Amino acid sequence: MSETLLKINNVTKVFGTHVVLKDIDLDIVKGEVVCIIGPSGSGKSTLLRCINFIAPPDQGEIIFEGKTWKRFHSRFNIFANRKYEGELPRLRSEIGMVFQHFNVFPHMTAVENVMLGLTKVRKEGRAKAREIAEQSLIQVGLGDKLNQYPEKLSGGQKQRVAIARALALNPKVMLFDEVTSSLDPELVSGILDEIRRLAKDGMTMVIVTHEMNFAFQVANRIVFMDEGRIVTMGTPDEIRNTTDPRARAFLSSILG
Amino acid sequence: MDGYIYNWNVVWDSLPELQQGLIITLQISIVGMALAIIFGLTFAMGRMSNYGYVKKFSTGVVNFARSIPLFVLLFWIYYGLSLKFAINLTAFQAGAIALGITGGAYMAEVFRGGIEAIDLGQREAALAIGLSSSKAFTLVVLPQAIRIIVPQGVNVYVGLLKGATIVSVIGVADMIYVAQYISLNSFTPFEMYSAVGIAFISLTLSVAGLAYLLERRLNRSSANV
Repeated sequence: MSETLLKINNVTKVFGTHVVLKDIDLDIVKGEVVCIIGPSGSGKSTLLRCINFIAPPDQGEIIFEGKTWKRFHSRFNIFANRKYEGELPRLRSEIGMVFQHFNVFPHMTAVENVMLGLTKVRKEGRAKAREIAEQSLIQVGLGDKLNQYPEKLSGGQKQRVAIARALALNPKVMLFDEVTSSLDPELVSGILDEIRRLAKDGMTMVIVTHEMNFAFQVANRIVFMDEGRIVTMGTPDEIRNTTDPRARAFLSSILG
Repeated sequence: MDGYIYNWNVVWDSLPELQQGLIITLQISIVGMALAIIFGLTFAMGRMSNYGYVKKFSTGVVNFARSIPLFVLLFWIYYGLSLKFAINLTAFQAGAIALGITGGAYMAEVFRGGIEAIDLGQREAALAIGLSSSKAFTLVVLPQAIRIIVPQGVNVYVGLLKGATIVSVIGVADMIYVAQYISLNSFTPFEMYSAVGIAFISLTLSVAGLAYLLERRLNRSSANV
């Protein structure tokens, strides 16, 4: 566990005049599980979205497997912008992402949701794609829901489809953005179990979560963010015994 | 209507001509709608562009096209282009283009409304699995937006269908033109225009019926099978 897979270098993100992220540096090692915690509005989700350029960083860079990715935008040169935009799918297809609101595609069945990336991004044939997609859905426990449309699925099942959709592309790192926050309480543990299973399989993961017990259990490293900065980070034990006043206040307000 | 003697036989006698007019009305409105869809989608994309100047230009064009009366537009295109630029269009072409521009301004808003109604998360999820921006649009956003666009697009088409009656002023032999021509000779404007009215009502109802079937089909493909 020493090979750096993903390097976040000096990343700053601004929305209008509001600085959401300020000079973030974070290295993620292959096979590592990093949990990002912190109060609402601290920039956790934005940081995650900067990693795969869903929200491109305004300054700084992401280094993924040795390749550097920086934001590019010309006000007038449409062709240069198109060239840059055309590169991004290569980064994104190696990084799986699961969202708070599932974002499954409602006009496609569960298996079609998973197949889309396989046929259109990985260029697999339909038969092969279906086979991989079905395997992926069986793994998350949806073997009996393959041909269901999302509107007939529960929140937990939708989130499983979303996880299968990301995993089917065999990503090198998975990003989880508060994936249990919009689930009914009784469905949370099932999704957390899926993530634990991935951790056991050695998947590299960056997880933004409010589930503190889960974070302390599954993480190799915990990052505490506040007001757009990384305040402190360390192993779960180090964070539990942190002397940083803001982290202490946050943890005591949540853990009691 | 004291003293007016109804003569409905004229309507029956002129059915072949009215039918010809009906076909012209349908043709010009369909060509106009096709242009409106192309024009509308182009300017809807323009209005949602990341480039400030493309956005402003598209918004300007849409607002401009929406504010010109169809009647005036028709004159500009048919006579204006001919006089100023020696571009001589047939009356049918000029009519279809005018309908396309007016309808396009409305379709631009219909497309934009439909596309913007789709949750941003859908596009983000599509990008996150590695789809290009254009594939995310055509495979994920647009198929969902279509369900919102179709019913409103039908409204625009019905508007164009009725708007198409104006093309008779530049001599397109549509139903109104036929009715006008025949009633001038037979002194039966009430009967002829009423016949046209009935034709339009049945036409509009048929379009609404087709749209209903189409909507049901679209919704079924999203429902549980």
